[in-house]
Amino acid sequence: MNVLEIRNLCKSYSGFYLDHLNLTLPSGCIMGLIGENGAGKSTTIKLILDLIKRDKGSITVLGKDNKTHFRLTKEDIGVVMDEVGISACLNARQVGRIMKYTYRNWDDAAYLGYLRTLSIPEKKPFKAFSRGMKMKLGIAIALSHHPKLLLLDEATAGLDPVVRDEILNIFSEFTRDESHAILISSHIVSDLEKICDYIAFLHKGKLLLCEEKDFLKEQYVIVHCTAEELRQIVPSAIRGIKENAYGAEAIVQKSKVPVGMSTVPVDIEQLFISMVKEDCLQ
Amino acid sequence: MKGLLLKDFYLISKYCRAFLFIMAVFIGVSFLGEGNLFFAFYPCIISGMLPMTLIAYDERDNWNAYAGGLPYTKAQMVSVKYLIGLSTSTLVLTAVAITEACRMVSDQSFLLSSYLIFLMTLLSICLLVPALMLPFVFKFGAEKGRIIYYVVIIIACAGSALLTSGDKTSPFLLSKTGMGCAFVICFASVLLYCISWLLSIYLYKRREV
Repeated sequence: MNVLEIRNLCKSYSGFYLDHLNLTLPSGCIMGLIGENGAGKSTTIKLILDLIKRDKGSITVLGKDNKTHFRLTKEDIGVVMDEVGISACLNARQVGRIMKYTYRNWDDAAYLGYLRTLSIPEKKPFKAFSRGMKMKLGIAIALSHHPKLLLLDEATAGLDPVVRDEILNIFSEFTRDESHAILISSHIVSDLEKICDYIAFLHKGKLLLCEEKDFLKEQYVIVHCTAEELRQIVPSAIRGIKENAYGAEAIVQKSKVPVGMSTVPVDIEQLFISMVKEDCLQ
Repeated sequence: MKGLLLKDFYLISKYCRAFLFIMAVFIGVSFLGEGNLFFAFYPCIISGMLPMTLIAYDERDNWNAYAGGLPYTKAQMVSVKYLIGLSTSTLVLTAVAITEACRMVSDQSFLLSSYLIFLMTLLSICLLVPALMLPFVFKFGAEKGRIIYYVVIIIACAGSALLTSGDKTSPFLLSKTGMGCAFVICFASVLLYCISWLLSIYLYKRREV
């Protein structure tokens, strides 16, 4: 079953156009949305939550259109936006009481467990929290009503590496249940590479690609070669080139690399940057 | 919707203590004063402003976008502010009504018709202030809604001044026509509050947060 299906989604603002976006997130999977600032990641998440109006297209969340009885569907969605909008004067304990009356499946024990695990103070007002602490509280809230889908917009931003790792483990654990799924956007591509099953590249409102992470990593390699060797490679197989005085570094389709040429595995960040640059050149 | 109400209760108890104090002082002064109705009406104006204050805090904290991810409809998010407005107004109205009745009895100036007109005026003020302001605030946000805030304050103060300058035992006020006028204004205020509620839901549903 697909937890999320986006078909031909369009949204325009002045100077921005989300162009016929198509995404499918199967259950049990984590999909990472990668894109530069203004690429359309937050817009996509806001459209999924019906916070802004789409111009065209359809969005199906947990098998239901997000325009029909979406309040009930949201009972099964956990959300962490790039800014956690908890009222500044509230503390974690008060937030817990509010959420108890908000979600039918709210689990007090799970919430207190996350507060302890993530070292979130219970009585400190939200305004005194650091950005990382605010994000951790947002994540604790998003997880404590046993959602089926997590929508995370820059949820790991501002967290130190240790806590980030801890949270990524929580997310990975979350998708062990086959009925769960996560859509996560982040600038920290290494985080997404660690946990995602699918990677979607968004650039200026356009979906450059959406593939299984492992497939992407198998399909492309980095070739270190001289300018002369580079000419032996079919141009259509090259995704990006970085040239310097010592030679060239190119991201190339693995199957099209001439025999004998030395290759190293590509990482998602390199692939994304090269694809964006290539798109800009076109 | 209980969660939203609880959140606003926490906000009122934290941020609006000064408002509550001012209301208590004004109610106290209205009891000790010489029947100047401004001191009785002003707490009603303040209580009517509370929902706007809460919306301003919500906008500052980016709560509206966050609440969009919670299982609430936009109609519920609007309705909670109207319910808060009704609750605080009921409390203030009751306190002012009891205080004024005590003052009138102690002054031996209690007249039922005059007291009923006073109550209906109070109720009208309590309802008119949020009824006029909330649709603008839900449409344009608390920042731009401030413009209408000043307009309503001026109208409310001018209205209070007019009422307090009149003779409360004048034949017109005590006549059936005076009572009828007060009743019509009161009924219109209730109607306007309901229309404002529906209009705010309509406007907020169309607003992108």
